[in-house]
Amino acid sequence: MLASLKRNWSYLAITGVIAFFMLIPFDWFLGQYTTLMIFIGIYTIVTVGLCLLMGYTGQVSLGQAAFFGMGAYISAILSKTYGVNPWLAMLIAAIMTGAFAYIIGYPIFRLKGNYLAMATLGLGLIMWILFTELSQFTGGPDGMSGIPSLSIGGFVFDSSFRCYFLVWLFCLVVLLISQNIVRSRTGRALRAIHGSEAASESIGINVNQFKVKILTLSAVYASLAGSLFVHYLRFVSPQPFDFLASVKLVVMAVIGGLASVWGAIFGAGATRVLSDELLLRFGQWDIVVYGLILVLVMIFMPEGLFVKLKELYERFRFRYRRREAQP
Amino acid sequence: MTKSIILETRGLSKTFGGLVAVNKVDLTLEAGKITAIIGPNGAGKTTLFNLITGVYPVSSGEIFFQGALLNNVPAYKRASLGIVRTYQHIHLFGNMTVLENVMSGRHPRSSYGFFEAAFRLPKARREEEAISLNAIKYLNLVGLGTYAEHDAMSLPLGQQKLLAIARALATEPRLILLDEPGAGLNTLEKRQLSDLMRSIREMGISVVLVEHDMPLVMGIAEWVIVLDSGHKIAEGTPVQIQKNERVIAAYLGEEVE
Repeated sequence: MLASLKRNWSYLAITGVIAFFMLIPFDWFLGQYTTLMIFIGIYTIVTVGLCLLMGYTGQVSLGQAAFFGMGAYISAILSKTYGVNPWLAMLIAAIMTGAFAYIIGYPIFRLKGNYLAMATLGLGLIMWILFTELSQFTGGPDGMSGIPSLSIGGFVFDSSFRCYFLVWLFCLVVLLISQNIVRSRTGRALRAIHGSEAASESIGINVNQFKVKILTLSAVYASLAGSLFVHYLRFVSPQPFDFLASVKLVVMAVIGGLASVWGAIFGAGATRVLSDELLLRFGQWDIVVYGLILVLVMIFMPEGLFVKLKELYERFRFRYRRREAQP
Repeated sequence: MTKSIILETRGLSKTFGGLVAVNKVDLTLEAGKITAIIGPNGAGKTTLFNLITGVYPVSSGEIFFQGALLNNVPAYKRASLGIVRTYQHIHLFGNMTVLENVMSGRHPRSSYGFFEAAFRLPKARREEEAISLNAIKYLNLVGLGTYAEHDAMSLPLGQQKLLAIARALATEPRLILLDEPGAGLNTLEKRQLSDLMRSIREMGISVVLVEHDMPLVMGIAEWVIVLDSGHKIAEGTPVQIQKNERVIAAYLGEEVE
C-alpha cells in the first residue's frame, strides 16, 4: 500500500516535470525563456558527452568546441551551399565528425593528463582557425546566414516554439542513451579506466580503444548539437566555437557534476542562465561575479550541482520521514 | 601421466637502460600448483610479473602460456587467455562499489558493447544479469558478500586485498599471479589468505605469488623459485630451498673470509 503510494508519487513527479517542460514555450507560461531553453538543451547535449569523457573515463578535453563547430559548419555548408536536405546534412556531419574523432583519438590518447589537455586545446584552436580562415567555404569571420531550417514534410522547424520541442527531444534521447551506457558493462569499463588503467588492462579492458570510442561518441553528440544550433539560428560564425567556448563547456560539465549524466542539464542550465540573464545586471563586472560564483561552487559543491541537489533532497526526505515516525 | 605445463619462459630478459632487471630466466610452472617466487628487494620478481602480464615488452627470450607464444599478445588480451594478476598496491577502482569492482572483472567473459548498452538490447540485459550473479558468487567466495554495496575504498586493507583477488578471479583465469598478497596483513588475515589460495588451487587455477613473508610462503607453496639480481639462483620444494646455501647467502650475505 505504502509502496504503491510511493511509486505513484514518483510517477506523478516525473509527469509533473515533463508537463512543466512541455509548457515552458507557451507565451502565457514562460514563453520569453524559450530561446534560452533551446540553448540550454543544445549545450546539455555537448556537456553530456563531455561528462562521459571527463567525468566517467577521466580524460580531459579542452577542445570539445572543435567537434561542436564541425557539426555546425558541415551541416551549414552541406545544406546551404550544396542544397543537401538538412536532416541528411546533420547525419553526414555526425558521421564525419565521429570519424575524425576516431582517427585522431589513437594518436591523441598516447598522451595523458596535462599533455592530453594541451593536445585537445591545440585541436580546438586549429579547428577555430580553419572555421575563420577557410572563408570560401565558411564565410570567414562574418559567417554564413540563410541556412535552411529542419523540416518534416511540410512542417518546418522555423520558430523558437517548434525548435524547442525538437531540441529537447534530441536532448532527452541523448540523456537516456548516456544513462544506459553508464549503467552497463561499457560504463563500468570507462569508470575502471578512470580508477586505474593498470588494473583495467589486467582484467582485459582494452583501455585505448575504450578511450577512443568514448571520444568518438562525445564528438558525435557535439556534432548533433552543432547541427541543431545552426539549423535553429540559421546562421553560423566562428565565435561560438573558440577556445573560450571549450572552456565554458568544461565549466558546464564541472558545475553540473562530472560524474552524473543528468547533471549536464543543471550545468548547462546554470551557466547559460548566469551568462544570459543574471550577469547582465552586473554590467562590466559580470566576469568578476561569474568567476566568484565558479569559485564558490567548487568550494561548497565540488561534485557539482546535481550531486548537491540530490544530497539536499535525501536530507529533506530523511527529516520528513523522521517527523512522520514520531507519535 | 605427463605433467602439464601452464607457463614456461626461456632465456627471459628485461633491461632498463643499463640495468638488467631480469636476466635469462628459465621457468617451468606446473599447472594446478601454488608456486612462490621469492628473493631480496630488487631481485626482479615484480618485473617478472610485469613481463608475464604484458605490462612491459620483453627485451629478449620467450614466454609460453599453455604452449602458445605470449610475447606479442597485448596486455589486455592476456586476461581472456586466462592470465590475471593482482598488484602490490591493490589498484581497486575507487569510484565504484565493492560489487561493481568484481563485476568489472567479468569484462573478458562478456561481450556486449556500446550499441547494445545504449539501447538496452536483450543481449545487454541478459549478459548484465549473468555478470552480477557471477560477481556475487566470487564476492561470496572471498567472504565479502555482505559488503557488496559499500564503497570499495571504505574497506580495511586486508579486505581490499581480498576484493582485488575476487575481481581477478571473476575473469575465470587459468593462472593467477599475486604480487605480495600478504603485505600489511595481520596474522588472522594471513591465515584467511592461505585458505583462500588453497581453495583457488582447488578450483584448478594455478597460483603464483611473490611474497616476502617466509612463514606464509613455506606454509603454502609447493614449489619455490628464488631470484637474486635478476638471476634464478635456485628452485625446489620449500624444504630444499630452506637448506640451499646459495639462497641463504643471497638473503643473509656471504661470510667474508
